Order: sequence, then structure tokens, then C-alpha cells
Amino acid sequence: MADVQLADVKKTYPGGFTAIHGVSFVVPDGGFCVLVGPSGCGKSTLLRMIAGLETITSGEIRIGDRVVNQLEPTERDIAMVFQNYALYPHMSVYDNMAYGLRNLKTPKAEIESRVAEAAQILELDTALLSRKPRQLSGGQRQRVAMGRAIVRKPKVFLFDEPLSNLDAKLRVQMRIEIRRLQRRLQTTTIYVTHDQVEAMTLADMLVVLNAGRTEQIGAPLELYERPATLFVAGFLGSPPMNFLKGTLESPVCVRLDDGNAIACEAGHAAVPSGTRVVAGVRPERAFLRPAGEGLAMKVELIEELGVGRLVHGQLAGAPMTVAIGPDQQLPGNETIGISIPADAVHLFDAENGRRL
Amino acid sequence: MVENRRFGNLPAHFVLIVGVIIVAFPVYLAAIASTHSAETIANGQLSLLPGDQLIENYRRALFVGTSRTTRALVATMLLNSFVMAMAIAIGKIAISLLSAFAIVYFRFPFRKTTFWVIFLTLMVPVEVRIYPTYAIAADLNLLDTYTGLALPLIASATATLLFRQFFMTVPEELTEAAQIDAAGPLRFFRDILLPLSRTNLAALFVILFIYGWNQYLWPLLITTRDDMQTIVIGIKKIVATHDALTEWQLAMATAVLAMLPPVAVVIFMQKLFVKGLIETEK
Repeated sequence: MADVQLADVKKTYPGGFTAIHGVSFVVPDGGFCVLVGPSGCGKSTLLRMIAGLETITSGEIRIGDRVVNQLEPTERDIAMVFQNYALYPHMSVYDNMAYGLRNLKTPKAEIESRVAEAAQILELDTALLSRKPRQLSGGQRQRVAMGRAIVRKPKVFLFDEPLSNLDAKLRVQMRIEIRRLQRRLQTTTIYVTHDQVEAMTLADMLVVLNAGRTEQIGAPLELYERPATLFVAGFLGSPPMNFLKGTLESPVCVRLDDGNAIACEAGHAAVPSGTRVVAGVRPERAFLRPAGEGLAMKVELIEELGVGRLVHGQLAGAPMTVAIGPDQQLPGNETIGISIPADAVHLFDAENGRRL
Repeated sequence: MVENRRFGNLPAHFVLIVGVIIVAFPVYLAAIASTHSAETIANGQLSLLPGDQLIENYRRALFVGTSRTTRALVATMLLNSFVMAMAIAIGKIAISLLSAFAIVYFRFPFRKTTFWVIFLTLMVPVEVRIYPTYAIAADLNLLDTYTGLALPLIASATATLLFRQFFMTVPEELTEAAQIDAAGPLRFFRDILLPLSRTNLAALFVILFIYGWNQYLWPLLITTRDDMQTIVIGIKKIVATHDALTEWQLAMATAVLAMLPPVAVVIFMQKLFVKGLIETEK
């Protein structure tokens, strides 16, 4: 068991491209940290640096009380699950799981008991142990890949987008299993994904990365409810947050570009009036009103989700989406009214995207 | 192309059959000739049916030798050819596997240059460098030895290139997984890369064995003693007698015997061979 500390970690490739611009965070012992961001944001690079598969240009990575910058992957006491599983195709499932232990000269009886234990934890049928990876389904391969990590009893689990090769249904199921497994084993885990639902559901601690920099670090709900930047606000949540441009008229009022005003919570007293702002509103926090009341929204498209509906349209010259319940009727066909409660409005500086 | 015309592929079959006859008939004739007596062949009375001298001819070819010369026995020559072909095939595979491994998986100074130098030697066939190669072999006292027969032919750019291409298709994650699983470079090579290259190895072995077996020029130069001759040279020497009657029946028997080992290698390794050429198993 160990915590993982990153202190101002940077990565510059020989060509001069900087993939990671100084990232710092601490994953507490037994914590589940998810690195999330769009593709190309450096999240996989960062994970591979923790694993020892990429060199660290500057900064310091600690696992437990050891600085691991110069250590080989094996010496770091980590185990990694890869996106395409990376199972050895010519070895049986048993050998796949036992290979690392054999290389570490673990006694045979110990290997057997650990593989059996891992198979049992992952509910892998013992008949599967003698099969080759290509004879397994995607979900089973995924489990074997996790089994290979578990048998090592490492200090840290590293997951690199482990679910992205699975179909949607299996992905949800494996997501729950990974979370359950981590709770049970209490092993510090760092998990990389671009899927914000996975990120929200799995993490104790979420690190949102964008272009090699951390945008925000915190508990998933905290990030969802108080995103620090426009990027985080737009990245977390599905459907994403709506953004309306306007000008701050007073600490509690934003004048939208179409001339209408919306109220926002007090607390922006330090911000000068007349600042250009972006008002963010989550789709589920806006309410429908009959046409003519509230803000006018032009309806363009309605998506049926079964559990509810998404109403897409235009409001104050910007795209707007409102989520409504399944039994709620649309008050009009082309134009409807929208009301936005003051506590649902997130204000961001239009210049630098920071939360106000 | 799948067609269902009943007689549609008759012309195609006709062409194929003619082709097979053109290729197979001389081989058939050689096999037939090896079962007749020398007189029958010399008189031009060779029929297209097997004669009655089969056992006698093969016994003489293998264990007695031709009557008027002191040529080596076919059994000895077969053994020489076999040793040479095996040494060339295995040596080439071993060397090119290791050099491809180095080129693909290690970063060392002049890695690209090394690769290109190996690649360039592809363009220089044995015949071009035969004089210096002979000189070196002679200086090293390798004339009339198995080492001399095989060693100069072992370096192979083609096989190195082939393995390099194959190694580059092995997913990088596999290498990384092995790294995390505490497998050092040589262990990774032995436990992961070698088993994955199995079908490629088999295909290459077949090709290289036949390449080695069919060598003519180099063995001709490097061997002078009769008991170090290879079978391909032996056939030539049996045919070319100065003033005596060529014992065609023995020459033909020798030719048939010379064909058998490569055929056997192809047949035994056919399954793996075909797999190695068409399959990309990952």
C-alpha cells in the first residue's frame, strides 16, 4: 500500500514538443484517481510516466516513500492494464497471469494459489485458465488482464483506458466490477479515460487534464457542481453544460446578448460590472415555461431517451439544451419559455475562462 | 472468383494440365530412367514404364558408386548437403533473428546506419564477393570443412529484413506488458518474440533449407576432396565422365535422391509454411 505523489512533473519529447507542463497531485493510499481529458491531452503519457514506460523530463514521482524517477517499471511495484489488454497470445490464461510472478522467481505453490485467488475474485471459470486469449470474449480478456495485475499484489494499479474496446453494455458492467474490485483490494489506483461518465462514476479523485496541464483536481461531484474553468464545465456532464454569453450588469444580474437578463447568485461583488461573462447552465437545471414567459427558446430538435427527453434549440443566439422528464409536456411547438434559477448559473470570465 | 458454369473451367483446367505436364514430365522421365539398366538408356530404348533395375541402381548409387570412377557415394554427398543446408538455414535464422531484434528493440548509435548497411548487402549476391570470400576462407583453413561450406553463406539481409518487418507488427503494448512483468530483453525475446515468430520461422526455414541445398558455385570452389562434395555437385560429376560411357541410370537415381530431402522438408512443414506466409496472427 502506498500513496502516489507527483511534483511538478514535466515531459518534453526530444523533438521539442512538451506533452506535460508541470503536473502536481497526490493520490492518497487506497484512493481511486481518474485522469480524464480529451484525446491528446497527455493523460496516457502521464500514466506511462508513472509506470516507468516513459522517461520524466523534470519533476519528481514518488510511490510510497520512494522516488521512482530512475526505476525500471518492475522495480516500481506497479501493475498496468492496457487498452488492448496486451495479453500474450501464445500463452494460456494461467501462464499470462503467472508470467510476471515466474520472472520474479516466486515459488510455484505461491503462484498457483495467487492465480487461483485472482481467478476467484474475477469470477473466471477454472476451465478458462487453460485456454488461449483468442478463445476468450472481450469481457473475459479484460478480466484476465486485470487478473495479471492482481496476482502481482502491487502497490499501485494503473489502468489505461481499459474499457474502450468493450461494447457499451459490457463497459457499464466492467466499470462496476473495477470499482468493486478496487474497494475490496484497497489498492491505490490511477485510471485514465476520456469518457466522462466513467470518470465521474469511478473516481474518488478526479484530475481533469487539458493540453498537458491540470484544469482542476477534486472529488467528482465537487467538479461537477463547481467547475473551476469553462473547460471543466463543458467536459463533465452529458449532455454538456449550455453556455450563454453576456455582460455582468450587477453582482446578481447578467445581461445576455439578446437583451434579456438572468439572475445569478450573489458572490460576484469583487467582479466589476460590465465584465464580459459566460453563463453556464446545466441542461437539467433549466425549467420549461409556456411561450411568452421567461426567456424565449426556439425549439429545433427533440431527442427521446426513454428516461426523459432532450430539447435542443437556440437561446440568445447560442445553442441550448434542456433535459425534461418523460411525462412532462412541451408547452409549445416552435417557441417555448425557459426559466433559469439563480443558483443554477455558473459564471465564467469570458476572457480567460476562469470561474467568477 | 466463384462461378457455377459446368464446363466453364474446362479451358482453365486444360491450360493447367498442360503446364503440369511440361514441368512434371522431365522429373517423371528421370525417375523412370533410374529404374533401367545403362544399356537400355544408351541404346535409346527407354520406355515410359518403370524397368526392373530399381533396387540395383539405387543400391549402387547410394553405397557403391559409379564403376569407372572413384567418386564419393551418394550417401556421403547427401549427408554433406544435409549438414550444409541445415547449418545455413539454422545459422541464417539465428543471426537474422538476433540482428532484427537489436535493430527493432534497442536504441544504439548508428542504428539506422546499421540497418541500411545490412539492407545494402541485399544488393550484393554471393557471386560478386566470391573472390574475397574464398581468400578469407582459404586463409582461415576452412577449405574442405563443413564450416567453410556453411559459414560464408550464413549472413542474410533478406531474413533480417523479414524479421524486422514482423517484429514491427508486434504490438508495442506487448513489449511494455513484458517490461512490467519483469522480463528482461533476452527473456522477452525467448518467451514472447520467438513463440510469436513460430510460423515465420517455419516458412523461412523451408526457403533457406532449399536455398542451402541447391548451392552450387560456393561448394564447387571450397571443396576439393571427394568426401566433402555436396549432392548437387555430385550429379554434375557423375554425368561428366571423360572417355567412358556415362552411367545415366546412376545419374538419374542420384538426381531423384537429391530431390527427396527438400521435398520432404516442404511436405513436413507445409502447414506451418503456408500459415507463415499468409497469416498475421497477433
